[in-house]
Amino acid sequence: MPNKTGKVLLIDDNDIDLKINYKIIKLSGFFDEIILCQSGEEGIEYINKNLNEPEAWPDFILLDIQMPEMDGFEFLEIYKNFSTEFLDHCKLAILSSTLDFGDIKKAEANPLVLKLLKKPLYPNELQTLLHKHSTLLGI
Amino acid sequence: MSIPTVRVLYIDDEENNLQAFRASFRRQYEIYTALSAAEGLLILQNVDVHVVIADQKMPNTTGVEFFKSIVETHPDPIRILLTGYTDIEALADAINHGDIYRYITKPWNDLELHNSIKNAYDAYKAKIDLRNKMTELEKTNDELNRFIYSISHELRAPLVSVIGIINLVKMEDLYHSSGEYWSLIETCSNKLDYYIQKTLQYYKNTKDIPDHSEIDFKQLVGELIDLHTYSDKDTGFNVSINQNVKFVGDAFRIEVILSNLISNAIKYQKSNELNKTVNIEIDVTDHQANININDNGMGILKEHLEKIFTQFFKSKMHHGSGLGLFIVKEALNKINGTINVSSNIEDGTTFKITIPNAK
Repeated sequence: MPNKTGKVLLIDDNDIDLKINYKIIKLSGFFDEIILCQSGEEGIEYINKNLNEPEAWPDFILLDIQMPEMDGFEFLEIYKNFSTEFLDHCKLAILSSTLDFGDIKKAEANPLVLKLLKKPLYPNELQTLLHKHSTLLGI
Repeated sequence: MSIPTVRVLYIDDEENNLQAFRASFRRQYEIYTALSAAEGLLILQNVDVHVVIADQKMPNTTGVEFFKSIVETHPDPIRILLTGYTDIEALADAINHGDIYRYITKPWNDLELHNSIKNAYDAYKAKIDLRNKMTELEKTNDELNRFIYSISHELRAPLVSVIGIINLVKMEDLYHSSGEYWSLIETCSNKLDYYIQKTLQYYKNTKDIPDHSEIDFKQLVGELIDLHTYSDKDTGFNVSINQNVKFVGDAFRIEVILSNLISNAIKYQKSNELNKTVNIEIDVTDHQANININDNGMGILKEHLEKIFTQFFKSKMHHGSGLGLFIVKEALNKINGTINVSSNIEDGTTFKITIPNAK
């Protein structure tokens, strides 16, 4: 495994969940840097701002589905238009508490979504996922 | 009780008939008259008429033609055709295309016509009542859907946050820092989450029309075992799946059925059993899927076997929700599947299920 300077971007409108997931990732030590965004718009803005600085690119995104204004699916619609270079670098999983069958199937069907992780986030579940895609992630 | 105002429109090209009609019925009804179909239509467009009576033999437009022309635009008023001669063809046409309620011969008998108008108004009311009930029902259904959606999101999200916090407490080694309080909070939270999940499964099962998607049992069972053994890895699984043909069925319900049975097989193990085992055998044919789920768990008492599929049945010793197997049974009913159970306290429990292949 090359450089282990992973950055993860958490997108969730719920600040308690953001705090919890930040803590869980921090304690598990999967990533060196955790970037928090309180909305899909904020997430897009972060990526846009750093498009010319690949070293600031996140390696991994954990995206919530139910958010006001721009929800997870709308985020993905914009997200898919980023350069292939960026999309090759950064992988994405959904992290949601949804039990809605339609939402679950829709998330699983999206080619950009590695997996739908259910809240609460379990470190070993995230680890398994990261491990499985470690080559993709380059971390 | 106040007598409802019945609005009657009578169309006839003979002024005398209109006058006679008025004279006979003006005390009972609110009467509108028209000398031609065109004039009648004008009234229909401006007044909320309940019953329309039209003479068949009129110049330009006949009664039947008029009724035909308003089938789409004014479907609600009940139609009565008046005719001086018996023309079978016109009659058949009227019934088949004009949506006619009654056919009355001229000269009319006041009592007969009065009764017909009364009945026609009842029919009108029943039609409108039914439509209002339908609208109401649609609204209730809509609200229920929104309620269910909000249970699955708004109500569950904070609960999941609580469970997340408990996990953090464990990660930071604080779980035993306050006596057993954390574990009590955890038990309650998990129980609440379980109820929310089962309630959703139940409503979704009762409401949705069966869908048809392709099912790969190997993948599905694998995922479900992963899901249910996440927190409890004591139970060993022997899975044998023989699927060489395509299987089409209701993905949501089949998942619910297997998920509940697998979860039960894990949950109701004997605590002192060293070799906790669940065997899952699935054999898929063109015709159906035969599923056997067998465990060496605590088994079900003979006197309980008949009741396990009823809602809220729970045995005294084990704290289930009384919903799991009830939902399994309901889901199987929806997709024409069957379930049989055999069990005893020594060997454990076997569920045999069949689900028709809809390919």
